[in-house]
Amino acid sequence: MRKGLILALSIVLVMAFSLGVMAAKKEVTIAGGSVGIELELTKKAAKMFEETHPNVDVKVMDTPDSTNDRLGLFLQFLEAESPKVDVYQIDVIWPGDLGEHFLDLYEYGAKDVADKHFQAIIENNTVDGRLVALPWFTDAGLLYYRTDLLKKYGYDGPPETWAELEKMAKKVQAGEREAGNQDFWGYVWQGNAYEGLTCDALEWIKSNGGGTIVNKDKEITINNEKAVEAVNMAANWVGEISPPGVTGLMEESARKMWENGNALFMRNWPYCYSTGNQEGKVINGKFDVAPLPAGDSGNGASTLGGWNLAVSKYTDTPELAVELAMFVAGEKIQKMRAIEGSFNPTIKSLYKDEEVLENSPFFGKLYDVFVNAVARPSTATAPKYAQTSELFFQAVHSVLTGEQSAETALAYLQLDLQDLLGYDVK
Amino acid sequence: MRGPSLRRPSYIEICKGGIFVSKKGMSDLAKQEEKLALKLLIPAFLILIIIAVYPLGQVFYASFTDKKFAGTEETNFVGFKNYDKLLSFTIKELPPKIDDETGKQVVDQETGKKVYKSPIYVLPRKPYLYRPINTFKLFGNKYVIGSADSKFISSLWNTMVFTVCSVLLETLLGLLVALVVNSEFKGRGAMRAVMLVPWAVITVVSAKMWEWMFEPSRIGLMNTIFEKIGLGNGNIAFLSMSKFQLPSLIAVDVWKTTPFMALLILAGLQLIPNELYEAARVDGANKVKQFFSITLPLLKPSLAVALIFRTLDALRVFDVFQVMLAQKRYSMASYNYFQLISARNMGKASAVGVIIFILIFVFAVMYIRVLGVETE
Repeated sequence: MRKGLILALSIVLVMAFSLGVMAAKKEVTIAGGSVGIELELTKKAAKMFEETHPNVDVKVMDTPDSTNDRLGLFLQFLEAESPKVDVYQIDVIWPGDLGEHFLDLYEYGAKDVADKHFQAIIENNTVDGRLVALPWFTDAGLLYYRTDLLKKYGYDGPPETWAELEKMAKKVQAGEREAGNQDFWGYVWQGNAYEGLTCDALEWIKSNGGGTIVNKDKEITINNEKAVEAVNMAANWVGEISPPGVTGLMEESARKMWENGNALFMRNWPYCYSTGNQEGKVINGKFDVAPLPAGDSGNGASTLGGWNLAVSKYTDTPELAVELAMFVAGEKIQKMRAIEGSFNPTIKSLYKDEEVLENSPFFGKLYDVFVNAVARPSTATAPKYAQTSELFFQAVHSVLTGEQSAETALAYLQLDLQDLLGYDVK
Repeated sequence: MRGPSLRRPSYIEICKGGIFVSKKGMSDLAKQEEKLALKLLIPAFLILIIIAVYPLGQVFYASFTDKKFAGTEETNFVGFKNYDKLLSFTIKELPPKIDDETGKQVVDQETGKKVYKSPIYVLPRKPYLYRPINTFKLFGNKYVIGSADSKFISSLWNTMVFTVCSVLLETLLGLLVALVVNSEFKGRGAMRAVMLVPWAVITVVSAKMWEWMFEPSRIGLMNTIFEKIGLGNGNIAFLSMSKFQLPSLIAVDVWKTTPFMALLILAGLQLIPNELYEAARVDGANKVKQFFSITLPLLKPSLAVALIFRTLDALRVFDVFQVMLAQKRYSMASYNYFQLISARNMGKASAVGVIIFILIFVFAVMYIRVLGVETE
């Protein structure tokens, strides 16, 4: 009995001591994504922060790939007002919907750094005069194309219109199939029913002159001829130059098909540039990027993406969390991410940096694409953007799977949006 | 008054036996014991109330409000508005489409069918936007059924179809498996352990695994197999085409839950004494007759329990729908989730939760009545 008591007491003492030692370290958690090599880079940034802050332990929380799933996870933390996560990686479309849960970074000295970033993104992240998130990286949809295959089939360069893209894709697909690659397809993109389809569909519609679903003046513009034409064009690709399974593809699954060498064109975000050029990849050195093709409007359109860092209102350590956010969104880390992961920086000066341009030359070539990217109507439809997007991508998805015609789908979409938002129709 | 019977006491009776005795003719000691029993049960009841009744009550309450999930606005009491929006439906007549020139009804050139006006013009838009769910013909006129929340009604339909098909298949296959594993053969013990593996894998993990198998190109196992046997061209998008979505999900669920059914039925089979089979054999009954007159009736209580468990579980299906179909097609529970996450409408989501609860309650009561599970 006595021996047992002594043993129990010593265990308790050891635990208390170790807990005491652990309690001396402050903990801060950053919830980031793991698409491509995101997670590695975030962990690297966390390590660099820990080096300059020896008594801080930075935990990197992994989150789901799909932006909708990530939103679901974050909403649960925010509903519970949980101090578990201090810094959130939020999508460029969320500040309007979620702004009330984040700290105003202007109160923590963000004014000094705000000027360095792209003004458009800072404005996007400002809700009622409060800066709720720091821009971390920006994104715009790009057309990836196989330089070797285009050369093989006698083409000079990437297509400039959708019609050209279709022609090139048909020819190369037929040729490659004959040569024995049964799994080859012309064009892969994100066609699953989720936010990514909103991005792709917005690009088709805007490039064809069909507007941006809801315009800046809060008018519903989606039900027009050009938009119907654009969606029909995409629906015709399914099964012809795009696999029937494109209606289930997301960013990572499209990237896998592309990196296996089974696609001539891919629409995806810039991060695939560095992953495609990794050692051992089949397409290493055989591809390049270009702006997306134009439709009737004469200009290609590229959806503005990008992620930002926001600090939770419910954190236990606000100053530390803001410091972490500002460090990770700062110039040094953005440069590292640009070089190693081809993540577009949001700091203007980095676009003139030699090292950055050497690793991702398209940052300079496609600068205009990034600056002129078309934003999804998240500000015009706040705080109901998530539902607007859901109605839109479900309507487009039903056309892609052949369940509805584009005319019916967009007509119903207009009614649904009127019902949801209460806006007028243009 | 029932005399001593050879009937094996049902599972429910075994559970109930012992504590609750009829009130008439109880001695003082028995009454004292009953009071003590109730006192001892109070901690269990308290825990049940905190863990089960309180959250349920919260959901009930939230369903009568317009609370926003993770929102900081004020919550208002809106009464039955959420239920109204979910369950409202209307039936309207569809007028025929008249050809301007001939004055007669338009006939579709390709299919030869008569063409009617599109429902979008006929269904009311206030106070809710009614969407068409189905059409039917009555006395030569065509009618359209419109619902205020067509996604909810279709999620209800999806859940019902899923439940009926998967429970039916699971019971039949489970019965087969249990009969096989019940007989004597070498390696029976190992077989019984291996049989449980699908049930042991976490549903989300197995759903993800099956999602990869259903991949819409030859990366997916299903497409490779189908192509080898000559069906399709290796590009069937199982999870995107509406005719394949439910069958795929049913396949996953049947794979996962057949072991569970087999286990419950096996437990029932083990309780049937061998003497009955011997006696039947001596009397000259063949295997089939033995099955229908001995096995099946004596198995009824275990089958009842297994069916109740599985039906109630299938009505609540969430994981396979959320992982594999996300927002392409909803079950009631996944619709509930997306109302919460995407629309952030906690009031409406809670109303969906309450409707699921009531539905399950009705099913449970119906089962207990129909399958004759005795209650005192």
